[in-house]
Amino acid sequence: MSYHLSNRDARVHQEVSALLPWYVNGTISELDRQKVDAHLPACADCSNDLARELYVYRSMTADTAVEYMPAASLKRLLTRLDGVAAPAATDAAADETADAGPKTMRRRHSIPWMGLIAASIAVMAVAVSLLTADRWLYSRPSGSQPNYYTVTTALPRAPGEVIRAVFSPTITLDELQGILDEAQLRIVSGPTEAGVYSLAAKSNRPVSSSLALLRGHAKVRFAEGTAESTQIATGSGNSP
Amino acid sequence: MTLPAKNSAREQDNALLVAVAAGDRRALEELYLGYHRRLSRFLSRFTPRYENVEEIINDTFMIVWQSAKDFRYASQVSTWIIGIAYRTALKSFRRQKNHMGAQNLDDCPEQTVDPTFDTEVQDWLKHGLSQLPSEQRLTLELAYHMGHSLEEIAAITECPVGTVKARMFHAREKLRLYLPSLSGGAVGSPAARE
Repeated sequence: MSYHLSNRDARVHQEVSALLPWYVNGTISELDRQKVDAHLPACADCSNDLARELYVYRSMTADTAVEYMPAASLKRLLTRLDGVAAPAATDAAADETADAGPKTMRRRHSIPWMGLIAASIAVMAVAVSLLTADRWLYSRPSGSQPNYYTVTTALPRAPGEVIRAVFSPTITLDELQGILDEAQLRIVSGPTEAGVYSLAAKSNRPVSSSLALLRGHAKVRFAEGTAESTQIATGSGNSP
Repeated sequence: MTLPAKNSAREQDNALLVAVAAGDRRALEELYLGYHRRLSRFLSRFTPRYENVEEIINDTFMIVWQSAKDFRYASQVSTWIIGIAYRTALKSFRRQKNHMGAQNLDDCPEQTVDPTFDTEVQDWLKHGLSQLPSEQRLTLELAYHMGHSLEEIAAITECPVGTVKARMFHAREKLRLYLPSLSGGAVGSPAARE
């Protein structure tokens, strides 16, 4: 009898021990929670395990100081999407997209022949378009504008823009807002793909003073007055 | 029982994914912005470089864009997206491991340290986490950092519940070696076992 009981206790102990991570993170079912609650007072090992798991859990859930701003990343994703057709199932993506069902249950749709023909025509059309575009690129005048830009390329100026700045990707929204408030600036456009923000003045504070404040901040990677604003405000160059 | 707020978030995710499947880029943007913070905080625990985090997130959403039409709503959209991110991250970490020889997760910024905790023990924990195989560490992070249930982790990782339990068991056993003195709620400096 006692042998049977100790076996049972050992099984309960193992069960409870395996449930502790989800007991700690609060996602355990009510039934399992009751099982753990009933076992803990009688088991020193599980109580010790619980203390350890709580420590690990608290360490791993403590608030992170780093918060990334998604705007520049999103822009890069959207640029990538430009080179991709409208949403369609692809074999390459299929491995990553299991919809929480057993793999054996996944059903492949048979591809109708009409669809294949249409796809072939589409591929040919794309090929012809690419060839045409290629020839056009070679034939266009050499002085025309390239279809790319750099951080220093003259971009169309946003209304009221006086400063362009790049912030650290680890800056938080609160920090960004704090810096802008202090420098009496507001965002009028951006960020560009390169992470450049166009900033306008919110008050009569001299642009040079706002620039100095930005440049003195560790989370500001680059700050430059736009040509006109620096001429007006300081009459000097503002290379960082 | 599910909270109404959760339900509404699910419904919103479902509606957005339907729109994404129809080719709506604005819906994809909204979905991206809704998940970016959660994913970036999760992924930045594994890699110190934001470029890597961004690459994994953007690869994830490329797949979301291309495969939204195939989603059958058998699971939550959030589980599906985090599952894609999980597999994308796993591939990325394995690739990095191959390139770098041994992956050095000690280089990762430990952003989750509460200053009230004992620093030395934190170092042991950080080191212990860095020694875990990717699958075990991801399981632990999904449970502790992301707060997912056992069943959700099974769905995210496409594994039976038993496998998730086994990964968690092995992860905890290994961490136990690094945190031997954390019994009875006391946090002391780790001493060698035995």
